[in-house]
Amino acid sequence: MSKNRRKESAAVRFGPVLKVCLLCAFIGGAGVGYVWQKNQIYQLGNQMTQCERQLAELKRQNNLKANQLAQMQSPGVLELQVRKHKLGLDRPLPGQIVRLPEPPATAPEPRVDGAHQIVRNDPVRFD
Amino acid sequence: MSVLLVAALCGLGYRLVDLQVWRHKELGEAARNNTERTFIREPRRGDIRDVRGTQLATSIFVKTVIADPTIIGTNITVRLAVARTLAPLLEKSAADLFKDLTPVPKFNAYGVLKTNAYALLKSRVTFEKWEEIKTAMRHADLGVDETTLTNKLLKAYYRGVHTAAISTARADDQLRIYPNAALAAHVLGYVGVEEKESPIGAYRSTTGRDGIELVLNQPLTGVQGWLTTETDKRKNELAWAREQNVPSMPGRNVCLTLDAGVQLIVESELAEAWKEHTPISVSCIVVRPKTGEVLAMATLPNFNPNNVGATPVDARRNRMIADTAEPGSTFKIVVISGGLNEKLVTLRDPIDCEHGKFIFHGKPLKDHEAYGILSVEDVVAKSSNIGSAKVGIRLGEQRLYDYIRNFGFGARTGLPLPGEVNGILHPVKKWDGLAISRIPMGHAMTCTPMQMVMAMCAVANNGVLMRPMLIDRLEDDRGQVVTKYSPQPAHRVVSEETAKTLVVALKKVVSKDGTAELAQMKNYTVAGKTGTATKVEHGQYVNKYFSSFIGFFPADDPELCISVVFDEPKHGYYGGKTAAPVFKRIAERSAAYLKIKPDRGPDVSPLAGDQKPFTTAKKD
Repeated sequence: MSKNRRKESAAVRFGPVLKVCLLCAFIGGAGVGYVWQKNQIYQLGNQMTQCERQLAELKRQNNLKANQLAQMQSPGVLELQVRKHKLGLDRPLPGQIVRLPEPPATAPEPRVDGAHQIVRNDPVRFD
Repeated sequence: MSVLLVAALCGLGYRLVDLQVWRHKELGEAARNNTERTFIREPRRGDIRDVRGTQLATSIFVKTVIADPTIIGTNITVRLAVARTLAPLLEKSAADLFKDLTPVPKFNAYGVLKTNAYALLKSRVTFEKWEEIKTAMRHADLGVDETTLTNKLLKAYYRGVHTAAISTARADDQLRIYPNAALAAHVLGYVGVEEKESPIGAYRSTTGRDGIELVLNQPLTGVQGWLTTETDKRKNELAWAREQNVPSMPGRNVCLTLDAGVQLIVESELAEAWKEHTPISVSCIVVRPKTGEVLAMATLPNFNPNNVGATPVDARRNRMIADTAEPGSTFKIVVISGGLNEKLVTLRDPIDCEHGKFIFHGKPLKDHEAYGILSVEDVVAKSSNIGSAKVGIRLGEQRLYDYIRNFGFGARTGLPLPGEVNGILHPVKKWDGLAISRIPMGHAMTCTPMQMVMAMCAVANNGVLMRPMLIDRLEDDRGQVVTKYSPQPAHRVVSEETAKTLVVALKKVVSKDGTAELAQMKNYTVAGKTGTATKVEHGQYVNKYFSSFIGFFPADDPELCISVVFDEPKHGYYGGKTAAPVFKRIAERSAAYLKIKPDRGPDVSPLAGDQKPFTTAKKD
């Protein structure tokens, strides 16, 4: 009995120590991980808000520029600029416009002369 | 001792149950109110554009600057310093701002005495200006050297004044901008601001008050979104604590059938005509007869929708649909087309015009000149009242009434604008004996200029009356077409043959034998009709006139129908002398702008012109 007790007391109990260490490490790691994760969430949230603000600002700027462009392109402003810079531009009068006749819409008659033969003898390509 | 401990523990337990169970709901809500914030996401109001996409109305987001007088407190030096800092930026006097920043204790709805924590300083402040305000407040001299302060409370107070005393409302406001100022003002209308209630409190919302802004307010407004989140002490959002994030849906862009180029031509020519004739008003409508699309619609006096309050209410009225008057001789197209359609007359049929005086039911009917026998074509060309009355008499009361109704008189045209009126057209049973002789020349009934121009369009469109079209399409915020509107024929009013026959007579009006020689165009055949109607004041005809001309061109394949109406022109009053030249100028400029193919003159042949194909239109 005593022999056995001696034997037990002298033995190094690595198993439980390891278990305890692992448990502590796990709890500690989980705690640190939780804090790290929370920190990441907070930082990402801040980044997200910042990006959203930037996006909203860019959209606003874009809208402003579009409005400016539209204003500069409006017929009234263009006419004013033409007058201001004395460009002398005006719409063409009917006499200054040349209208070309549209080609007839109907398909041309098939030709029965040599040219027609040449077309018929062309090799057929399937690619 | 143990009894005391037990009692203390019981007390703590009771308190715990009180806070966590019995008052859970109330305290939970209070805690949420301390941290949770809901922000309204106002949708951007859609643009109004012309058919080519030219912007006619747009919106930008702006801020509403507010103050929290409880943060500034009763320190007069600080309040004065803040007022002086803000005065030049908000364009308000320092005295007014000082008053706004003063804390005023008031009883709230629950009867609790509270100091106002909200004071509106200025609405519609641009983002750039708000940045300037923030910077100015950060560096504002509050009358003390803050670096030497040792008292923590005082330091916090001054920091609060610098950063939190002046802020903006939670929901952004919108500023409506009309880049072309008064261009098409009567069509676009204008907007106003209304206070709306929401779970987070009242906020300002832009809403249409007149014109397209009012009629299409709902699609233009869009759908509101919201954001429920938490904020930190400095009012910065904690994105991870977001509960609801619903983006707003921007309003649709409304693209009208108006063409800003044609509208500008019309308005500039009306301005010239205004200078020349100084009338009470002058109006013009340009319509494509084949589709009913309204290309331009203008009336003077007009207003600037950017600053509606600066103009009298009278100038805001869209006279083309809201005012009715006796149309005068332009109305003769209805009775003559009725006669032709019923085959009661032909253009060659002679009509005795009684040498300018026709006694009907004991009352004389006069012409402006003493005509003898005129053909029906000449009755139209010379605008004989007696001739058209005789055609009307042949047509009979009921048939005349039916034709008038078929041409769209006595009912709204259906133009999507507010304030349109029916005009006055009495039923046949209410006609006195004279009506059959007066209505054919455009008296004893009233109509709007819009009704009259649509009737002329029906003649130009081979006898088919179109519904007027003002909205071409709705687009989303990325420019994708959501809804496209197509032309809608109302019904046929006369046969194609009748319409073409009447066009022959209307062409003669615009000749040296007609009343509107001044409407002739160099490169296009014009058909049209003049009108000179005596005004009625207090039930009596007076020597004041409505002068008008409605014409279309090219006469046999019409592209545009233009109506010009003067209310009391001062220099001359015949429609052919006042309105016809204005029609001509508008028509020629519009034809060049829209590149309408000429149908007469030296330029009709395909390769016509001065053989300088690529010469620019530069004037020396």
